[in-house]
Amino acid sequence: MRSFRSRIDDATFDLNLAPMLDIIVSIIPMLLMSVVFVQIMVLETPIPQAVEKAMVKNEEKNDVQIQLSVSKTTGFRLVVTDHGKQSEKSIPLKDAALDLAALKKEVLDTKMKYPNQFRVELNPDETVQLNDIVLVMDQVRTKAATDPKIMFTDTETGKQTETDLMFPDVVFGNVAGG
Amino acid sequence: MARRGMKKHIDKRTPATFKIQITSMVDMFVILLVFLLKSYSTSPVNITPDDNLRLPASSSMKDPVDALKLVVSKVGIFVDDKKIVDLKDGQVDIKDVDAADTNFIRGLYAALDQQAQKSKSIAQVNETVEFDGKVVMQADRDLPYEILRKVMYTSMMAGYSDVKIAVLSNQ
Repeated sequence: MRSFRSRIDDATFDLNLAPMLDIIVSIIPMLLMSVVFVQIMVLETPIPQAVEKAMVKNEEKNDVQIQLSVSKTTGFRLVVTDHGKQSEKSIPLKDAALDLAALKKEVLDTKMKYPNQFRVELNPDETVQLNDIVLVMDQVRTKAATDPKIMFTDTETGKQTETDLMFPDVVFGNVAGG
Repeated sequence: MARRGMKKHIDKRTPATFKIQITSMVDMFVILLVFLLKSYSTSPVNITPDDNLRLPASSSMKDPVDALKLVVSKVGIFVDDKKIVDLKDGQVDIKDVDAADTNFIRGLYAALDQQAQKSKSIAQVNETVEFDGKVVMQADRDLPYEILRKVMYTSMMAGYSDVKIAVLSNQ
């Protein structure tokens, strides 16, 4: 009969971790090669299907046009053309910089008036930097969480649908025109 | 006699081979592996860190698409990492633009048109490939709209009308 001590010795063993270490050491250099510390995105907005259909339908009708001009010297100019009738709103510079907060408020007011409109034509001046253009696009694309609800008519069901998107379809209006 | 005693003592010592305790090392590597797997990227858009190419930050959450890479840095315009046009202070030299149409950058048009023709010829023989005119533009955030408009206009003329601007996520 074996002693108690020898039975204990049989029950414990050393796990051989060397092959596992080999695999990990092989994988780590490969992962280090493809590691990223910055996340790249593209400037487009994920559009819910209902919004997309409403956008297409609105594009076909083209009754309302919203144009936003951006200038480093005069600020923003928001022009809404509704069935040929034009209304204009200017947002001057604040502390020699673009007043993005005022723009957001004005764009939200416009969205409330035209909830089924999703396209805005952006016309920046030649001196406006890309960083400012991207900031403006961010402001007009979505509403803030604290802003009032935006309800638009779903073209499929005819029901009122809530969305966080204001003008996700931002097009550069003066690329071809000059 | 004394030598014999010493030899006996050496023989009784533990063997010369020993096992390295690698458990803690494996623990450390597993933690590192998890971190690296989280940072692993399969994004089709790759940027090379450069002082002349600092992308703007945006709240956009749209993932990049696999499309032609067009880089507009402070020193030049690149198509698929090949320098096409030189820029000086964010401006195109007058010799590089068309005399009749100042928005038209000739060298860029030639490079993009070549890429478009290549894509179209591939699309003709391979039904799964389609030329959709998509281009991902990586542009420096300090560049003025003047040069970006020229690049977008020339891209449009070459058939790349779906220009997507690459941005850094600030979320």
